[in-house]
Amino acid sequence: MIAAALALLLAQEVISSGSEGYTPPADSTPSLRIVGYVDLGWARAKGDGTSFAPGDTRIPADYGVDAFAPAVNSRGDVASTDSGGRFTNGFLPRSMGIGGHASFFINTVDVDVRYTHPTAPLLLFTRLQFLPRLSSRGEDTRALIEQAFARVIPFQNQEFALSVGKFDSVFGIEYLENEANLRTGITPSLIARYTTGQSLGAKAFYRLQIPGLWTALSVNLAATNGGTMVDTLQPQNASLTGTPVFSGRLGIEINLPSIEIKLGVSALDGPRNDQSQPGVRQKAAGADARMVFGPVELRAEGIRLMQGEGAGDKLNGLGTQTVVSKFDVWGGYAQLALGFDFAGPVRRACVYGRYDRRHAQFEGFIPVTVDRITAGARLDILENLAVKGEFLKNRELEGAPNVDNDVMTSSFVYSW
Amino acid sequence: MQIVLMALLLAASGKQQHDWLGAEMPLPLAVHTPQDLAFKNVAERQYLIFNLLASGKVAWDQGDFPTAAQRWETLLSLPGLDPEIDKVVRPMAEEARKQGGGKAAQVLPPPPRAPEKPREERRPATTTVEGTVSGGGAAGPGGAVITLRRTDGTMPKPQAVKKIVLQRGKAFAPRVLAVSVGSSVVFRNEDKINHNVFSLSPHFDTGLYGEGGEKEEVFDKPGVVQLLCNIHSSMIGYLVVVDTPYFAQADGAGAFSIKGVPPGDYDVETWHEFASRPTKQKLVVPREGAKLALTVAGDKQPPAFPPDKYGKPRQGQLGY
Repeated sequence: MIAAALALLLAQEVISSGSEGYTPPADSTPSLRIVGYVDLGWARAKGDGTSFAPGDTRIPADYGVDAFAPAVNSRGDVASTDSGGRFTNGFLPRSMGIGGHASFFINTVDVDVRYTHPTAPLLLFTRLQFLPRLSSRGEDTRALIEQAFARVIPFQNQEFALSVGKFDSVFGIEYLENEANLRTGITPSLIARYTTGQSLGAKAFYRLQIPGLWTALSVNLAATNGGTMVDTLQPQNASLTGTPVFSGRLGIEINLPSIEIKLGVSALDGPRNDQSQPGVRQKAAGADARMVFGPVELRAEGIRLMQGEGAGDKLNGLGTQTVVSKFDVWGGYAQLALGFDFAGPVRRACVYGRYDRRHAQFEGFIPVTVDRITAGARLDILENLAVKGEFLKNRELEGAPNVDNDVMTSSFVYSW
Repeated sequence: MQIVLMALLLAASGKQQHDWLGAEMPLPLAVHTPQDLAFKNVAERQYLIFNLLASGKVAWDQGDFPTAAQRWETLLSLPGLDPEIDKVVRPMAEEARKQGGGKAAQVLPPPPRAPEKPREERRPATTTVEGTVSGGGAAGPGGAVITLRRTDGTMPKPQAVKKIVLQRGKAFAPRVLAVSVGSSVVFRNEDKINHNVFSLSPHFDTGLYGEGGEKEEVFDKPGVVQLLCNIHSSMIGYLVVVDTPYFAQADGAGAFSIKGVPPGDYDVETWHEFASRPTKQKLVVPREGAKLALTVAGDKQPPAFPPDKYGKPRQGQLGY
């Protein structure tokens, strides 16, 4: 007995030496935090930077579908949307106005303001963005409040969060890395326009961990004034119908010691919010998967979205449009990334490739199928700088002539 | 090796005739904080000293000289034993060994060779370096880690220790902990929800574990280890692994004290979680000790988008 006691004492005598550490008082933590990033870019698109084929003499209304030009930055902005006088129905992305010229530009100046209450489980968050657009041929310079919400985590011992305000979509997974500093690559996927918008409303998140199975189940539900589309496809700061759109995602995470797998299904149902009749519905369903195994990350996502036909004009972030036909789209992407960490100034190096495909049709118009092959590399330097380069091979597979509009783009993101 | 020898020695000592309270260890003292642990350690050490001292005397009184010799020799082998106890026990231990026969335990340290000399002259004189740290920005200087590295002589190898970092209230406690290189840290989850602890450099990942669970990691390279939770992006903590025995952490007011420092020339380095780089300066420590006024910057923020365990940045405002 005394032998055991002595051994214990000697072992614990070692424990008792050295410092005991420091824990700051709860109210000493700074409660206001301002962070953000600046995203600068350089890009060159082939052709005239649009998806409008030179010499295409088809009915102009064919361009009412979304054969968008390829993106050049993380916002999904394209080199040009100059239609050359053809009819377009507002189903367009925003334009940097650089055409087919190699150009430098400022993509985004982002400021995130976070206030954390020192004792209550309350967070106030605002994401402000300034978008300088210096080309006279593209979008105007804009400043916007991308997000502004209050979040409460009411139970200390539960992973349950309630948010009210203007916030990110809960559909799919691409919204999680929709900002330039977070996204592995530069450009969003071909389906990001349907899943990564912000809306006003309320959302709830709950996650249940099951340690014995290395598993967690999560549910994310939102009731918002609009769907999950980006602002060029729907107004984001008002409800045109007064009826909420419900969206959500059910997920499962499997965290094994050397591999992480996350799977999810998403759904959306509500009024089509680019016009004012609540009886005209939009529905969407999606599935997503992520897997991380050592330096390898694989992610994939797919969506099917259907919108009913409206009777009046539609309103979106680009203004009032005249044709509100029935819309049906399916698409998805798969991305493979290989990343390595280093101890030197270059903290992490990553190469990645992605395949996107999308098939979209406005009722009464020719369906268009496009795909895209993306390859790129990202270097994270020191703690704040990310340098990315990316090549996008775009192909019009069906319903539109193939256009020489491949893109070489780059991004320099400084976070602070 | 010393622990093993003593444990074997005591295990071979036969049935104990008197169960003193000190033998019933670990003592039933609750440990919830690092302070509790330090208190328990001190109490158990005192209990064991008493146990060895008194049980040896009981054996002596009963004429059981081999047992008395073993008890006292073990007592005399304890590091840092009070010299007064040594002075009283050592002659009796030698007499017990002489009467009881057998061979003295190998762990018995030799008696003082020159009792006529003052004790201070037999050991290298040490002193205390103390002072205050200021700066650290809005968070203040608390938690700053001050290290001394000798430049005009050799330094003893720092002793590896075992420490506890709690996960409590979705936070690491302590938030900042300095440990010597080779030390191990036990991560204990005291929340009702599950946690994980990982670091990207050096890389480790405890996996997920629930309330009451513990995971232990050994840190064998000096440097700053950023502790994160793969479940809760708001959780952040720091281990500062040091390669010197002379170090301390500042309290909330910035005060610190490093005892047992031999006089000499030193490099002083002060690390703080909100300083982008540690401050460095030279120091000459005289026999009477030194007082320092150190400053750290407050120019660094925690990561705006804390990474997950695969290095991908997360958006903390999402709450998941």
